[in-house]
Amino acid sequence: MGTTFALRTALDGARSLSPASLTVTLPRVITASHLSRRFGPVVAVDDLSFEIEKGEVVGFLGPNGAGKTTTLRILAGFLPATSGSASIAGHDVLTDSLEVRRHIGYLAETVPLYAEHRVDEMLEFQGRLHGLSRAERKRRIPEVLERVGVLDRRRQLVGHLSRGLRQRVGLATALLPDPEVLILDEPTSGLDPLQRIGVRKLIEDLGAERTVLVSSHILPEIEAVCPRVIILNQGRLAADGTHDELVRTLGHASFVRLELTGAVPPGSLAKLAALDGVDDVTENAGGFDLRCDSDLRDAVGAVVQREGWPVRELSWKQATLEELFARIALQLDETHTEAPA
Amino acid sequence: MKGALTIYRRELAGLFVAPLAWILLTIALTLSGWLFVTMLKETGGDIVAATRFVGGQGITYWAVMIFLPPLLTMRMISEESKNGLLEFLLTSPVSDTAVVVGKFLAALSFMGLFWSSNLIYAGALTGLGSPPDWPPVLGGYLGALLVSGLFCSIGLFASSVTSTPILAAFGSMVGSLLILLLPNLVGLVDWPWLTEEIAAVDVMSHFHRSFLVGVLDTKVVVFFLAGTLLFLFLASRAVEAKRWR
Repeated sequence: MGTTFALRTALDGARSLSPASLTVTLPRVITASHLSRRFGPVVAVDDLSFEIEKGEVVGFLGPNGAGKTTTLRILAGFLPATSGSASIAGHDVLTDSLEVRRHIGYLAETVPLYAEHRVDEMLEFQGRLHGLSRAERKRRIPEVLERVGVLDRRRQLVGHLSRGLRQRVGLATALLPDPEVLILDEPTSGLDPLQRIGVRKLIEDLGAERTVLVSSHILPEIEAVCPRVIILNQGRLAADGTHDELVRTLGHASFVRLELTGAVPPGSLAKLAALDGVDDVTENAGGFDLRCDSDLRDAVGAVVQREGWPVRELSWKQATLEELFARIALQLDETHTEAPA
Repeated sequence: MKGALTIYRRELAGLFVAPLAWILLTIALTLSGWLFVTMLKETGGDIVAATRFVGGQGITYWAVMIFLPPLLTMRMISEESKNGLLEFLLTSPVSDTAVVVGKFLAALSFMGLFWSSNLIYAGALTGLGSPPDWPPVLGGYLGALLVSGLFCSIGLFASSVTSTPILAAFGSMVGSLLILLLPNLVGLVDWPWLTEEIAAVDVMSHFHRSFLVGVLDTKVVVFFLAGTLLFLFLASRAVEAKRWR
């Protein structure tokens, strides 16, 4: 309870500063409010709320079992939420599910495709499901296959394709009806590094023209393509914002490192702690770590110069999203203390 | 309903690109052709008896009826629910019912194709100058479609409540067999009221007394249609229930 609450409060502050909240004219494409989903006694998604605006590319990040897939399935209209509601393009995912499904391209992690059909037959089927006319199918199918780079494989049996190619065909299938919103569950899982780069590039391109929601448990994937990240942990929203916002607001780990040669001069700790913007100072390994939100190297340098301390190192260690993610995932955060119920 | 048509086309294509359909069709047609010829020889060329035999009188007819629909339908929902294709279908803009109906129609079409062999035998005999009694042949075909429909819907329902195709096939075979043998089973107990009620769902004698003599009894037709609709309804509920699990 403690951690999410603290983090979220911190985030609320951050979001009010975020550029996203300044562009209020953009319509919200995806709204989730207080979504919860239980599987028997297991709470997979717990009171999850977020909003995604048109044209945003958002990464869903979280360790395995954090509730990413469940949330995406709720949005895609496959699973109903136990409580709470969600809407896509103004249609409720539960009561107006068919309309929602017309607006989304959803690719599940397993990349479900009919193995016994050829690639173009699979797309033909998808086109019919979405009510595309014969002419539209004839135009769109080569177009999307070209887009994902498998046009030359269109007569191949889906079952004979490699994992990477299957993933591309799956993406083509999701793209075929030209959906407003793309929901991709772990689109890079099981791919080799080269294929990952390819898919990542593709998602980046797609993000330029439509709203994309991508999930992954691999941080660099998300960092590379998604300007905004939603971090889930144990079904709850752990963090939500752009990379920089997250690092800034949750960056307890940012600090200025000052290392001196020789013994630590008496009273130096107090002098450093008195600096503006320093949250706290700890002495370790013959130096100091000054926790602060911004780069205070200049101020620290001035103190060092004034006092004449012999310096070995003065550096600014910024928290990375990776550290942040690990903290959240491993619940290392010091704010994480189970509040008594 | 356009969605159901799309699913239907895919399922039918799916059946025929996989070897199972061809294997079943080959075995069953060979068996039925052989039986028909044997019957013709045995009866000394009694065309009516032979067409009746392969069209519903013989026990082989019912054996095929019990085995074929479960084998056709066993994978349709159970396997797709396991490999994620059901998730794909259920996140497409088609209703759950359309998915079930499309699959059902595909299985039924296959059965219709299979039973059309009896029409071909009758047609061949007509061509050879000794036409059979057509009303029972046509009635028998319609009856075969209705019974197949009932058993295919049972098969689909079984496929929707288990995730193992073999289990689904087994379950629907047992279910179909029970329905066929119900009148014999109640004969084992001495409760006249029960026997009377059960007589109303006596599939085989309905079939023999109505379709096989070329008479269309509305009551019997409605009985089969109602049973089929019931199991299709149950199957689509079961598919919907998968979303909640």
